[in-house]
Amino acid sequence: MHEALSDNGHAMKRRRFLKGVVAAPVAPALLGQQAAAPTAPVGGRGNRGGAAREVPKLQFTAPDLVSEPVARFFTASQFAALQKLSGILVPPINGAPGALDCGAPEFLDFLIGASPADRQKLYRNGLDTLNAQSKKQFGKSFAGVDAKQADIILRPLMVPVAWAYDPPKDPVKHFISAARQDVAAATRNSREASIAANATGRRGIGGGGGQYWNPVDPTHKG
Amino acid sequence: MAANVLTKKGVSCLMLNAGPEVDFERDVVTKSVHELPYRGLGKPGRLPHVYQANEFNANQWVDEKEIPYTHDPAKPYNWVRVRLLGGRSLFWARQSFRLSDYEFKAAEIDGTGENWPISHDDLAPYYSQVEAIFRVAGRKEGWPQFPDGNFIETNYPPDSRSIKKVTELANARGFGVSKMRSSQGSGGLASSINLLLPDAQATGKLELVSNAIVREISVDNKTGLANGAHFVDRHSGRERHVKARVVVLAAGTLESTRLLLNSGLCNSSGVLGHYLHDQIYGVSVVASVPEARDGKAPPGLMGGSAFLPRFRNLKKTDKRNFIKGYCALIGSGGNANPNFFTAYGEELQQKVDSYAGSCVSGSIYGERVARFENHVRINKDVVDAWGIPVLHIDVKDSDNELNMAKDAANTFEELFHEAGWEIINKTDKFYPPGYSIHEVGTCRMGDNPKTSVLNKWCQSHDIRNLFVVDGASFVTCGWQNPTMTILSLSMRASEYLADQLDKRNL
Repeated sequence: MHEALSDNGHAMKRRRFLKGVVAAPVAPALLGQQAAAPTAPVGGRGNRGGAAREVPKLQFTAPDLVSEPVARFFTASQFAALQKLSGILVPPINGAPGALDCGAPEFLDFLIGASPADRQKLYRNGLDTLNAQSKKQFGKSFAGVDAKQADIILRPLMVPVAWAYDPPKDPVKHFISAARQDVAAATRNSREASIAANATGRRGIGGGGGQYWNPVDPTHKG
Repeated sequence: MAANVLTKKGVSCLMLNAGPEVDFERDVVTKSVHELPYRGLGKPGRLPHVYQANEFNANQWVDEKEIPYTHDPAKPYNWVRVRLLGGRSLFWARQSFRLSDYEFKAAEIDGTGENWPISHDDLAPYYSQVEAIFRVAGRKEGWPQFPDGNFIETNYPPDSRSIKKVTELANARGFGVSKMRSSQGSGGLASSINLLLPDAQATGKLELVSNAIVREISVDNKTGLANGAHFVDRHSGRERHVKARVVVLAAGTLESTRLLLNSGLCNSSGVLGHYLHDQIYGVSVVASVPEARDGKAPPGLMGGSAFLPRFRNLKKTDKRNFIKGYCALIGSGGNANPNFFTAYGEELQQKVDSYAGSCVSGSIYGERVARFENHVRINKDVVDAWGIPVLHIDVKDSDNELNMAKDAANTFEELFHEAGWEIINKTDKFYPPGYSIHEVGTCRMGDNPKTSVLNKWCQSHDIRNLFVVDGASFVTCGWQNPTMTILSLSMRASEYLADQLDKRNL
């Protein structure tokens, strides 16, 4: 059972909550020894006596842990091609989870759906081209081809990219180059990869962490 | 720097900052990349001009929707901005160099352009003081194109054999090979907020106001002198005015110029906003050392770095298809970017693993030429969130930049090939103007009021009680990070300003 739902978790929360409720009226009394110091509910407007507000710390669950992604942007055939492509580009290797294990296609459906129109077009056209080529060469959609057939389609589309800001001029090669980077990043930076990295102690699997900047005093919008 | 110098000389200062102050404990938290909404890939389209942005640091940059700027889509410009107290000094890479007389007297070397009205000797005493404050570590070389300074003595670890090899080959071509010079600062920070402003405020002479967005410099119609500033409170939008005896602008090159243009001041020469330039970044060559592949690098072969200050066009006889020059940074022991290969899946992973730690890379900072036609002007059709007209930036590279980049890529290729290493990537492409975050010019200094905005004291030719002490005064940028020069110019200008106040000349 998840800790937040366990008896211990409830007990812990209750203890924290009680501590917070008791602390509120005590502090002003200590400050001024005011016999008639007004008490106010924690977080209420009347709490102006300088008392520290101790709000119980609640536990939350990441939405990804309790739900399934819903693909909304790509068509069914485009998404099936993206799934196939993702699995080919980043398969599970040496204990590291692959793109499909990490929900990379579902994440990219979200990311590309939120992206500027040119990036959306790049992906949609690229996936449609993969499907069209596999229909033409093998009589089935890209999702249905085997590894050898996929290689016949993909190998000519793979070109070295010397500089990320100078992508291939051919839009399908550009798409493959972009997808290769995006699928790898979406896999490496996933929760699943992080868990695998922690479990195996191997560096280089998960995306790690960093110093995140909160908005610094954002402009008041009224 | 200006506030630091002026307050220590007894001058009362009011400092208006467009942004808020940073509280590192409150504003910065540690997160795993998978906790971020876009898995670290960033919100699409949020900061299209800031290639340095990622999902961790996106909030430190200026919001391009709140404070936009415009440019012709065919002439991209990456204006990379920070509006926090301390500005970009909070985030700079701390590479700390002096300009040399190859830059101050560039017209004599290049046969074109303008000299600065000052030389290295004029600025040297100020560089020394700034280097002491910022605790610059570096190795002295005695080379005229790479002036030595007031450095902290640094013990560099012995060079790896791969760095020794490339050093030998570079030396054989007459290129000097040195080490990076950088500001150590204090407590992990080398910023105005920890090295300059606390001392200024301790004098009791400095008042700091945050979230004050200056809209316009006000002028006394009788005297023609600046007499204050109109500003907007960032949160409430309230319009305010403050009086001043002297106005000092240090808003960052393009914001200072935008303010002058919006105020209609300091442009009798017609060059205000012109000669915008910076440095080219992006050229890169990567080679792999065969003996270091598959994790088999013997101890001492890989690792470390070398720094080559400008080595092109140091003599008038050095005739090339470009003027000016670039510095080169060489690093050993890196990995190969998966983009370099045509493989995928397991095959790609095997290649990446095989090349891991075996790579030597070369990159440059190259000087762009300051040209009149590369300029900024006010776009009255677009305003920021406070109704202030924005800048239109009109900048384009020329053959000089393209030829310089080609020379750099070819030079690295030649060196690495001669070392017996496998070239695995080469590009002579580079980022759009502005990317280096070293934009300078647009209020250039000079002795002639008809061809410059400021005199050699960073003082307006037109309005003698108005000074600009950021990068806007630059005549040429060199290949160097401009921070030490900006600070030294500001220190020099501020001492002059204080002296002029004493003499009642302002």
